[in-house]
Amino acid sequence: MSRLIARFAVETTGQLTLLTRYEDHMEQVTLDPEDPVAVSIQPRHPAANWFERKAHDDFGIRFEGSPDSRPLVHHEHIAPNQHPMRRHFNADALAMLERPRSYPYEVVEGDTTYEIAVGPIHAGIIEPGHFHFSQAGEHILHQEVRHFYKYRAIEKMLAGKTLAAVWPIVGRISGHSSIAWQLALASVAEQAGASVSDGQRCGWALLLELERLAHHLTDLGFIPNDAGFGAALAWATALAEDTRRLLKTLTGHRFGFDALIQGWAPDHQAIRAYTRRLQDELRRFEDWILTVPSLWDRLDTTGKLKRQQAELYDVVGVVARASGVPLDVRTDLPLYQVMDFVPVTEVKGDVAARFKVRLREAQASLQLIDHLLDGADGTALMLPRTPADGDFEAQVESVLGELYFWVRLQGGVIERFYARDPSFINWQALPLMMPGNIIADFPLINKSCDLSYAGNDL
Amino acid sequence: MSMWPFWQKRLETGLLTETPELERQHEQLRRSLKDAVNRHFAGSLAIRMVDAGSCNACEAECNALSNPYYALERLGVHFVASPRHADVMLLSGVITANMWPHVMDCYEQLPAPKWVIALGDCPIDLGVFDRTFAIRGPADEHLPVAHVIPGCPPEPVAIMQGLLDFMATALK
Repeated sequence: MSRLIARFAVETTGQLTLLTRYEDHMEQVTLDPEDPVAVSIQPRHPAANWFERKAHDDFGIRFEGSPDSRPLVHHEHIAPNQHPMRRHFNADALAMLERPRSYPYEVVEGDTTYEIAVGPIHAGIIEPGHFHFSQAGEHILHQEVRHFYKYRAIEKMLAGKTLAAVWPIVGRISGHSSIAWQLALASVAEQAGASVSDGQRCGWALLLELERLAHHLTDLGFIPNDAGFGAALAWATALAEDTRRLLKTLTGHRFGFDALIQGWAPDHQAIRAYTRRLQDELRRFEDWILTVPSLWDRLDTTGKLKRQQAELYDVVGVVARASGVPLDVRTDLPLYQVMDFVPVTEVKGDVAARFKVRLREAQASLQLIDHLLDGADGTALMLPRTPADGDFEAQVESVLGELYFWVRLQGGVIERFYARDPSFINWQALPLMMPGNIIADFPLINKSCDLSYAGNDL
Repeated sequence: MSMWPFWQKRLETGLLTETPELERQHEQLRRSLKDAVNRHFAGSLAIRMVDAGSCNACEAECNALSNPYYALERLGVHFVASPRHADVMLLSGVITANMWPHVMDCYEQLPAPKWVIALGDCPIDLGVFDRTFAIRGPADEHLPVAHVIPGCPPEPVAIMQGLLDFMATALK
């Protein structure tokens, strides 16, 4: 069965099309704009659930055979039957209800079960989202993930704008993955006529690996911290801070916002000093952390996702690789092929496996940076003055996994912008990791996946 | 056994230090911030951070404030888990329609006296984002904003300076 990447709709004048992107082909179905109905693919691809519910909220498409037709993006207080991605919708605000509708959560009922509602505002400094647990004592029976609290209507916001005008927005959809999002847009720009040199490509790959390091290092601290091992947090977040500071030296910004379009300075001395020191630090970190038994007692066998489940749910990124699925967009790129790039995988699919994947990927990124530095050119991307019309796709391996773009350019502007953050798929597999675990391990499991809310919600 | 290498490295490293010039600037900022927290909040300023639709960079920078370079907790500034424990609501993001009721609810739960600080460009003027049907910001249309810390995102040092400025101006 081919892997599902995305399922989304596009409307042009008088025509509504449902596109389904599989790994090896694209399916297109034309729908009746007055009464759009399609056949659900959830029986084969459970992760189609969010795609189809979003397509209903956005476009009013009904899915026959769908086991779940609850609203997704539109929350309780938003009036029903508004489909803002339709062309004729041009209201300034969504109509609100005075008395919110109820949302029926997935719950396990019984004499001794109870529910725990977590969020949208969480205890720490985290993005908002809701997790709904059915419990038997400490044991998690079931979890529902409910998101889209950060829904900004990015897809509609970008319609009608030029590539130059959307650049600063696209780089700020999910801040910690800014370089990856900019790279996806750069790929669209290139297909539409921008010329990109090998040196620029090399340099952008270097920035992408630095972004990966900043994020992985943060997680290498936060995952042990959620198991009560705070010393790791101090070490790893100090290294993450060093990475942000290097990004600032190179791009003028700690997250590399707008770096591709403004150009950046490949400071060889600063980069070499950083990779040399970090390699040393990470080796020391690894020797130490791998031998703390009380920590691994918490990480081993916790929050397991079996390979079979990962494949059924079309999971991507670190989560897929930790379950033994060797999926990494970088494998397809000539730039990485010449460096003999091999995706890092583990087999157990638990928190420990995801931690180890991150650790080894961070080490691999340092080596990649050393290789990429020689060819790196920091010249700014020149966007095409008159970009070609057409439908363009892009895929980038962000730190979270495969980021997918589908952009239609028409008359020099964006007619439809669609992006699927890796989190949009992976969030749907999170509940599979819960049964058999206790509620106190939820933060640990969640952090081991470390998904984006902003990129997911759009 | 396994903690030996850790303590060895810990003692070698000592306190994480910056370049001497940066060190002097930061030291001055840290001292002023600690004095202000002592004066205005009896040594303990409790902040409830609320993300109302940010890109997550503002959250990343707030988390960075706890890393060993900044160690904000040592100055008496705490990020707390409940609005009922907080003096200040630190608000980031464009305030989405879906977060708006929860933001207002959170503000209600803060005990008086209470202050709202807008963090980053998004709650101040939506930053690079356009107002859409799903966005209800900026923040001052809904809440009494006592102070703003601009930036996209504001860097950790800018957030520390912003908290200091808040205490110096809004709490005179």
